[in-house]
Amino acid sequence: GLVQASRGLHTSSQCLAPMPPMPEHGGKVRHGIFPEELFQLLYPKTGVTECSNITFSLFYMLGTGLLVYLLSKEIYVINHETYAGLAMLSVIVYGVKKFGPQVAAYADQLNDEKLAKAQVVKDLTLNSMTESIENEKKEQWRTEGRSLLFDAKRNNVAMLLETNYRERLHMVTNEVKRRLDYHVALQNLKRRMEQEHMINWVEMSVVSTISPQPEKESITKCISDLKALAKTSQAKATV
Amino acid sequence: MAGRRVALKAIDWVAFAERVPANQKAMFNALKTRSDAISAKLSSLPEAPAAIDWNFYKTTVANRAMVDDFEKKFKALQVPQPTDTQTSTINAEEAEANKGAAAYIEASNARIAHYEKELDKLKNMIPFEQMTVEEFNDYFPETKLDMVKYPYWPHKPITEL
Repeated sequence: GLVQASRGLHTSSQCLAPMPPMPEHGGKVRHGIFPEELFQLLYPKTGVTECSNITFSLFYMLGTGLLVYLLSKEIYVINHETYAGLAMLSVIVYGVKKFGPQVAAYADQLNDEKLAKAQVVKDLTLNSMTESIENEKKEQWRTEGRSLLFDAKRNNVAMLLETNYRERLHMVTNEVKRRLDYHVALQNLKRRMEQEHMINWVEMSVVSTISPQPEKESITKCISDLKALAKTSQAKATV
Repeated sequence: MAGRRVALKAIDWVAFAERVPANQKAMFNALKTRSDAISAKLSSLPEAPAAIDWNFYKTTVANRAMVDDFEKKFKALQVPQPTDTQTSTINAEEAEANKGAAAYIEASNARIAHYEKELDKLKNMIPFEQMTVEEFNDYFPETKLDMVKYPYWPHKPITEL
C-alpha cells in the first residue's frame, strides 16, 4: 500500500511489496472447532481417500481414545459444572446455528452500504475530474478566439477611417459643384431679369405712342367687329 | 484622389460567437451591432464622388477663367487620408491579451495535469473490498479520524455520526 511505499529502500526489515488482499473466508474447520489442516496432515501417509470409512480415520480414533482415557482415569472430573457447561454449550450452538445466517447477512448488509457510499464518492470524484478536464480544454479553445476580437476592432477602425476619407472627398466635390452652380444660376437669373425689363420697356414705349383719338377709334371698330362676330356665331348656333 | 486601402479582414462571426462565454455575450452583441452599423455606413457611401462636368460649366459660365482656375485647383487637390491613432493601441492590447492568454493556458495545463494525476490515482485504486482502513484513509484523507483532537471513540463530533 501507499504507507509502505514511502519507506526508503533496504532500510527496514519490512517488505515493500504490496499487501495481498485479505481472504474472504476464514480457515475451514470441522465440527466448528478443529481446523481442517489437522486432518490433512497424515493423509499422504495413511492413504485415506474421500470415501473411506470415517471410523477408521486416524484422528477420530485418536480423539475418541483420548476422551475415554480422560474420563476413565478421572483426569477430567465430571461435576455439576460439566452439566452447566454442556447446557450452555448446547444453547449457544443452537442459537448460532439458527440465527447465524441472519446476523451474518445483516453484517454483510452494513458493510455493503459502507462500500456503496465509498463507491458513490469515488464515482462522483471521477466524474468531476473528467468534467473539470473537459472544461479546462474548452476554456483553452475559447482563448484561441481572442485574435478574432482584435481583428474586429481593427476592421472597425479601418472602416471608420475609410468612411471619413470618402466623406471628405464627397464634401470637396459637392462644395466646388455648389459654387459653380451658383455662378450658373446667377447668370440665368440676370438674363431673365434683363429679358423681362426689356419687354416691359418696349410695352411701355408702345403704349405711350398711342394717342387718345386713334385709341377711341380702334375701340369702336373693335366693338363693331365683335357685334358682327356675335351675329355670325348666333346664326351658326341656331343652325 | 482615389486612395483605396483594402485593409479589411473577413471575420467569421459564427466562429467568434461560439467562443464567447455566456457572461460576455452582451459585450459581444454590442460589438457586433457596432461593427454592422459601421460597415453599413461604409457600404452606403459610393467609393468615388460623382465627376464634375467641366465642359458644361466652361460653356455656360461667363467667367471662363474662373472655371479653368477651379478645375486646375480641384484636380491638383489631394485630400489627406485620416490619421490612424487607434491601431497601435489595439496592437498593444492584443500583445497584452496574448500574454495573459498564454499565462492562463499554462495555469490551465497545470490544473489539467493535476486532475489527470488524481484521475489516474482513482482509476488504479484497488477495489474497496480489499482495502484496509489505513489505505482508505490514504486515498480519501478526509475520512481519517483525528485521534489527537478526539481521543475517545467515536473520534469525531457526535453531530457528524
